Amino acid sequence: MSEQNNKSDATQQKGKLSRRDFLLLGGTALGTVALRQAAKSPKTTRGAEDHPEGGHLWGMVIDIDLCIGCNYCTYACQAVNNLSDDMKYNIVSVETTEIGDEFFLSRPCMQCAHPPCVHVCPVEATYIRPDGIVAMDYDLCIGCRYCMIACPYDVRVFNWYEHTEDSPRVPEFGTPELPPRPRGVMEKCHFCSHRIDFGLERGLVPGVDAAATPACIVACPTGSRVFGDLNDPNSPANQKLAVSDNPIRLRNDLSTEPRVLYIPPRIKEG
Amino acid sequence: METDIRVPKLRLAGKEYPLFPIWILFLIAAFGIGLHGMVTVLTKGLSVTGLSNQVAWGLWIAIDLSSIALGGSAFVFGVIVYLFKIERFKRVGMLAVLLGFLGYSTAGMVLLFDLGQPLRFWHPVVYWQPHSLLWEITMCVVLYLSVLLAELLPIVLEHPLFHSHPILDKSKFLRGFTNFLQKLSAWLHKTGPFLAVIGLTLSLLHQASLGATYGVLAGRGLWFSQTAPVIFVLSAVAGGTCLLFLTSIIVFRVMRPGLVSDSVLYDIARIAGYVALLCIYIRVWDWAVTNYYSFDREIALQTELLNTVAPYTTSFWIGQVLFAAIPGFALVSAKRIKRFRILAFFAILPLICTILTRWNYNLSGLIAQITYDPFTPTVIQNSYSPTVTEWQVGMGVISYWLITFSLAARFLPFKGDHHHKEHHEPDVPEPVTAD
Repeated sequence: MSEQNNKSDATQQKGKLSRRDFLLLGGTALGTVALRQAAKSPKTTRGAEDHPEGGHLWGMVIDIDLCIGCNYCTYACQAVNNLSDDMKYNIVSVETTEIGDEFFLSRPCMQCAHPPCVHVCPVEATYIRPDGIVAMDYDLCIGCRYCMIACPYDVRVFNWYEHTEDSPRVPEFGTPELPPRPRGVMEKCHFCSHRIDFGLERGLVPGVDAAATPACIVACPTGSRVFGDLNDPNSPANQKLAVSDNPIRLRNDLSTEPRVLYIPPRIKEG
Repeated sequence: METDIRVPKLRLAGKEYPLFPIWILFLIAAFGIGLHGMVTVLTKGLSVTGLSNQVAWGLWIAIDLSSIALGGSAFVFGVIVYLFKIERFKRVGMLAVLLGFLGYSTAGMVLLFDLGQPLRFWHPVVYWQPHSLLWEITMCVVLYLSVLLAELLPIVLEHPLFHSHPILDKSKFLRGFTNFLQKLSAWLHKTGPFLAVIGLTLSLLHQASLGATYGVLAGRGLWFSQTAPVIFVLSAVAGGTCLLFLTSIIVFRVMRPGLVSDSVLYDIARIAGYVALLCIYIRVWDWAVTNYYSFDREIALQTELLNTVAPYTTSFWIGQVLFAAIPGFALVSAKRIKRFRILAFFAILPLICTILTRWNYNLSGLIAQITYDPFTPTVIQNSYSPTVTEWQVGMGVISYWLITFSLAARFLPFKGDHHHKEHHEPDVPEPVTAD
């Protein structure tokens, strides 16, 4: 009899959830959901449906020795991307080698394989396209500028002003190919992705055909920079890499794995 | 009920002047100037600030971080009062909730002006990117602000206007509405422990994430540190509790004598003191470790920065170590010092330290930048000085904080009885039509 009583007590207790159990269960459930969310790979790749053929991975190779610091790349970029004069996607600076030789460093967006800017964006306004290009969605961007702060290469630019007039580089270096962006959003170099998409639709080869190639590459008078599909061994970029012995990446210690590679200056004799 | 509250008077040349209206008028004027700045920013955009592509976050972010940190007492005392149910801290806990709400709403306000697209402030709530610390902070702040609102409502509804003011008897609608509010308040009060747990989780999460916002940025050597989240949480608890101690002296000791005993105030000071000391202990270890591991070229360059530009310069040793260590020891022995003027002086210093830590954290990483030269990287120094508009907006949001705090200190009872049921229907006298 007493056993039965005990049993019914136990079942009664079983049916009633204590506060501790409730908190424990709730916590476990919440934790599971949170862990599943965290374990998911970042949903930062978008637009696969636009590129059903896939397989491209765009990259750029810049031969430092060939660069003469003319800034044509910067100007062509400003004209084609419809940038005002104070905004530059590509920056040319003077740097020094270990033995004291000066050289020009042309710095577009590195199009990192692991871009710090993409990981920090609170609204997924910046994302990696399936072809490796780090792009912007201007309609999502809230203008918090965290990406600008996270970028180790200082290549993101903010729209501080309302865009009112064309770049002074128009028409000398090109004509605007994109509508201006609103004030208060972030922008960045996107390897002239509009040209790449346009060219691929028409059977052109980006890096080979000028209409499908980033403006800075086309404008470069010395052929210092080449562009192409890193997955295609015959692309100009890969051919350039094949003949150079030690291409480098900027801030390699950060493991961002840029897709813009540099051929370092050769040591001059005498 | 209001006669219990003593409002300090201004004494000038033997005459007494009412301090409160003068103070509020002064604050409204300051807010007006701020409003002008806010309109300027919203119409002209962020080009009116001194920010640039290199120094992208400035004064407003420092204000945002500081006001969130100084609201840190809300979760500490939320847990002490609502979860551990330590009764003697009840009234102080109510003040802590108010400080928390003010801190977070101020932060939200100043952040709005810092956005390039202020109208898209709601985007993070809809377009999730759970890997971003800023997304997590936004969600936590939005949710925690709701929790604070739920905790604040019963405190505001304690005011006689909402249960026993004669004006309520003149309108049936008003009476019905306030009765509903009282029921809501009673229900919210019952959910106290639940809210306290949620509040604690949310605030620990984002107070730490605010540090991690900087700590995860490998590209900015000055910031890349695992201790940042810990330091942000501890300094928020220390600074927030110091602010609670200071405001408690004004709200309870000066304006409501007898409502909270002095021993409770001493205990708050001691909590603040202990946490400030713990924070400094960890910061000094952080400094030692950073200097010890400086063999690698990149790290050596960064350490050189840390020691010359910031954050480990003189301002670190004076503003962030001494300003927390000396008051820390003083506040810990509050029961022996006993004199509130001295204790209040010491409680101000960790407050400054908390603000300085944030200012320093934010600016140092942006101002001192490593160049991109692959062979001979050096340090370049960017410059930033806030423009008049930035100061205006800063003044505006701070005067919002002060106005709301002053009104609450002047009018709210802070008794925490939560037994207004006797004021409901049974006690309501018949409406007097002749009145």
